[in-house]
Amino acid sequence: MKNNIRVERAIKNITQGDLAEMVGVSRQTINSIESNKYVPSTVLALKMARVFDKPLEEIFMLEEGD
Amino acid sequence: MKSRFLFPYWCRYLGWGLVIAHVPISMIARNQGLNVDSPLVNNGLFTGGHLFFICTALLMSLGLFLVAFAKEKIEDEQILQIRLDSLRWAIYVNYIILIISLVFINDTGHILELNLWVPLLFFIVRFRWIIVRLNRSLSREG
Repeated sequence: MKNNIRVERAIKNITQGDLAEMVGVSRQTINSIESNKYVPSTVLALKMARVFDKPLEEIFMLEEGD
Repeated sequence: MKSRFLFPYWCRYLGWGLVIAHVPISMIARNQGLNVDSPLVNNGLFTGGHLFFICTALLMSLGLFLVAFAKEKIEDEQILQIRLDSLRWAIYVNYIILIISLVFINDTGHILELNLWVPLLFFIVRFRWIIVRLNRSLSREG
């Protein structure tokens, strides 16, 4: 699964730490998600989508082989 | 995400304290000639050596237990996943060692003692190692 959280963060101009605080996880988790090392739960993905005010599919998308 | 059945964060320090405290106590007892090596095969329950074995073994395993199952500062879903993964590895390693030693070593007392701390210690080492690696990649990002 790919995601463009990094891009969305840049648009909103917030750091990993800010986003982590908003959705209630650690900075390490945001970092792992951005570098595709960790797939967030549906709850966490929805929370992030709410922060960026976008539908889920615009932030997370399936890759080939998923 | 809520993870239930974990100890509060400060229990980690209490746990390390107990583990460290058990080292000098057992060294002193060894120097005084208490038979602490084979409490299960010596003369019966609740003799000096046996009571002492109970105390030190309890101290150490309780300490490791508290360290292993204390909450992280921020206990989120990734930590939960690492925890479960490490637990699985700890069980694998424990049973591999257990099976190998059951086949090749004829000393059940010590095998049981090994079984007391191997899973917890392996779990702690693996769990902390993954978190250190996460933090390292975090500082690379800046």
